Amino acid sequence: MASHEETKSVHHHTSLQKKIKLKQERRQHNVSFVMMILLTIVAFAAIASDAVSNQVAILFILVLAAVQVFFQLYVWMHLGHKGHEFPMWGIASGLLIAVITVGTLMGLIW
Amino acid sequence: MDVGQRLTDQNFPESPEKATLEGKNKFLGFWLFLGGETVLFATLFGTYLGLRNSFGKGPEASEIFQLPIVFIATMILLTSSLTSVYAVLALKENRVKAMRGWFFVTLLLGVAFLGLEIYEFVHYVHEGHTFTSGAFGSAFYTLVGFHGGHVLFGVLWIAALLVRNSGRGLTLYNSPKYYLFALYWHFVDVVWVFIFTVVYLMGKVG
Amino acid sequence: MSNAHAANKSVLWDWLTTVDHKKIGILYLISGGFFFLVGGLEALLIRIQLMGPEMTFLTGDLYNQVLTMHGTTMIFLAAMPIIFAFMNAVVPLQIGARDVAFPFLNSLGFWLFFFGGVLLNLSWFLGGAPDAGWTAYAPLSTQSSGHGVDFYVLGLQISGAGTLMGGINFLVTIINMRAPGMTFMRMPLFTWTAFVTSGLILFAFPALTIGFFLLMFDRIFEANFFDANMGGNAIIWEHIFWIFGHPEVYILILPAFGIISEVVATFAKKRLFGYSAMVFATVLIGFLGFMVWAHHMFTVGLGPVANSIFAVATMAIAIPTGVKIFNWIFTMWGGRNRFTTANLFSVGFIPTFVMGGVTGVMLAAAPADYQYHDSYFVVAHFHYVIVGGLILGLFSGLYYWYPRMFGVMLNETLGKWNFWTFFIGFHLTFFPQHFLGLMGMPRRYFTYPEEFQLGSLNFISTIGAIGMTVGTIIFVINIIVTHAKGEKVSGDPWDGRTLEWAMPNPTPHYNFLQTPLVRGLDALWIEKMAGNKGMTPAEPIGDIHMPNNSILPFVMSLGFFIAGLGFIYINTAGLPALIAVIGGIGIGLVCMFLRSWIDDHGYHIHKEDLLKENKGVDA
Repeated sequence: MASHEETKSVHHHTSLQKKIKLKQERRQHNVSFVMMILLTIVAFAAIASDAVSNQVAILFILVLAAVQVFFQLYVWMHLGHKGHEFPMWGIASGLLIAVITVGTLMGLIW
Repeated sequence: MDVGQRLTDQNFPESPEKATLEGKNKFLGFWLFLGGETVLFATLFGTYLGLRNSFGKGPEASEIFQLPIVFIATMILLTSSLTSVYAVLALKENRVKAMRGWFFVTLLLGVAFLGLEIYEFVHYVHEGHTFTSGAFGSAFYTLVGFHGGHVLFGVLWIAALLVRNSGRGLTLYNSPKYYLFALYWHFVDVVWVFIFTVVYLMGKVG
Repeated sequence: MSNAHAANKSVLWDWLTTVDHKKIGILYLISGGFFFLVGGLEALLIRIQLMGPEMTFLTGDLYNQVLTMHGTTMIFLAAMPIIFAFMNAVVPLQIGARDVAFPFLNSLGFWLFFFGGVLLNLSWFLGGAPDAGWTAYAPLSTQSSGHGVDFYVLGLQISGAGTLMGGINFLVTIINMRAPGMTFMRMPLFTWTAFVTSGLILFAFPALTIGFFLLMFDRIFEANFFDANMGGNAIIWEHIFWIFGHPEVYILILPAFGIISEVVATFAKKRLFGYSAMVFATVLIGFLGFMVWAHHMFTVGLGPVANSIFAVATMAIAIPTGVKIFNWIFTMWGGRNRFTTANLFSVGFIPTFVMGGVTGVMLAAAPADYQYHDSYFVVAHFHYVIVGGLILGLFSGLYYWYPRMFGVMLNETLGKWNFWTFFIGFHLTFFPQHFLGLMGMPRRYFTYPEEFQLGSLNFISTIGAIGMTVGTIIFVINIIVTHAKGEKVSGDPWDGRTLEWAMPNPTPHYNFLQTPLVRGLDALWIEKMAGNKGMTPAEPIGDIHMPNNSILPFVMSLGFFIAGLGFIYINTAGLPALIAVIGGIGIGLVCMFLRSWIDDHGYHIHKEDLLKENKGVDA
């Protein structure tokens, strides 16, 4: 009987921990959503306004895009979490080939 | 435990999407698939970037692109990414109704995005920017169309999942399916981030 | 859901619906073998046409078709599926798994490949095969008249989708389904090479998928990707093709490296020399394989900087490859080598592949390549690495794993005839081609005038091709003779070292009655040395979960095949073609939908049945 109580309280304890964790996660998700909205607005604004030169603006919005990808992959898709080692390899390799491919098709043609 | 059995709060595992070997396999296989998709879209982006100033007989990009529509579409897709995250959080807590609700919102937003895209394409075609008007036109419609095709597939996918599992709770069999859809949807959003940056914003400034 | 695979279904139905990796391996082997014969026949036609100056055996147009189909068939429809045959037949067994990670996708991958191959070859009967070379360079391919290139694009698109699925499947299988104790650094080398090859497939094939879409859009829907008049750029095709195409070369050769590593070690009765160096070299080759594609384009005009970078990267691949060569030799060194047919092919592979590698380094030198480019020197080089490397490796693997796949052993006497005729024929065919290239004979030309004095070397080359044909015929005879005799062998006829030899013959359809516990590299050999009768089980005998058979992969692939035909004729056949497109894609989508809709939990083989089947096994 006592052990039964114990497991119950342990279960209760872990589920409480889980709840706290999920609550934290929810906050992270909300923060990253707001950040992404902001980044998007800044990107559009940078292009719409004439304050920045086009070359700088392009570089700037590409950096913003990269930051957004980071948010998506790490916060929303949990790529940084435990048990994502092989997904990490998969995405990293894909990105490596992707960068090479884009660079080539942009730069090595005439 | 039978994988088709409805999960209760008592026996609910920490990650129902990865609680079985089948779930683990799907999870990893799908991530790897997304790695391959990265190369697929990179090839499209590279082709587009190589041809983005070859307008042929069509109008120039900066003349036709309409940033307000693109901005709205971006907001819709970003929000749908958030709602699918909420759905996954609900999945992890075995709150089936909330999960299905958030996925349904995701679906609606996906449909709205598609509607905007179709409107946009029709508008461009009227402006003389078509698939055959030049290399730029071909590359534009192929890249953006591939993304739109992914959105369409996602909409059909989640619709099928929701209909099939209506009235059914979460099981170890269907949890991975929901989870994979959410991953897919985020990936589609990631691609869109690059499309609005590389195609529309860069196209606007030439 | 108890035993869904009732025995009252017909044999044909069983093969059409199977999701068993061992059967799918056999399906891959038979279809790949068939296409190998077709591609070989095309090769023979090419060699007959080139036997003497100004031959008129084939017209120039037909020659182009035969040449294109020879390359395309051999790469995509013969080599790739035979590699998948071995991966299916061997990898799950080598890692102690009961099946692959996605049995349904495995079946789908095979049927997509199969229907894609059939679609491509239908072109012979429907107005002419593709004629723009296996690389289909634009604008030659966009302007090629008739439907040949359309068949090329659609057929390979469909079969390529199947290959991509196979790649993901094996990656997940190897990562997630290894038996207890089977760490990455205890995996047999063939599994390692299958792993790296699958990774290359995952990242190389999507580029090809897009390339085919672009070419298809240009040809069928009047897009302008490669049309310079409309601002298109043909160099984009070359880049995309080779971003896929060069990794493809390593996709092909790495599994052969794996086979050689298994065979040489088994027949030397020694542990593979430098195992960890071999693994490292495999991974490094896989990585570098992605960084060198532009060496196919040295003469396009990339400029000296790009050419130099790609030249250096290409030469760097010689280092890990050299590591492998030496390790094989050191494995044999001091071993008790038995020169069975399998080992003969492996040993024959080593010097042959070195020759191909040496010409590879020669070609990697960009300035020199301006001379070699598009000459028979290149033809000689890539046949040395692909036939002298890959095909010898595949033959070796076939003789080695035939008992595991079919329960019977190929005849050794015929096998040795097979080896010597094929091996000598091979060198006779391709060695002279180096000199033909240096003498200025360009590749892909359908004939040459007498005064160029290319006749005698070409004649020798054709004689060699006949030798290879004889070798192949002997091989076919060997298969027939072996199966006619039908002499069953034990589950471990070679005194093997790795897990695939730890099962009875024939292999039970659930593979391992009990998942084995792996205690080191060469898991089975360790147990043998410890005096154990078999593997130590890692679990008690219990119910075994198995996947259900399904006809959906077959129907889905058929749907895409029909859609492919429709696309090919959409501009010339009008409504029927449109119906085929919509109907075909519809069939495919409905199958996908059904797959998602119908809950499929598989079935269990119960413990009692297992015990009945395996009397005398301690529970």
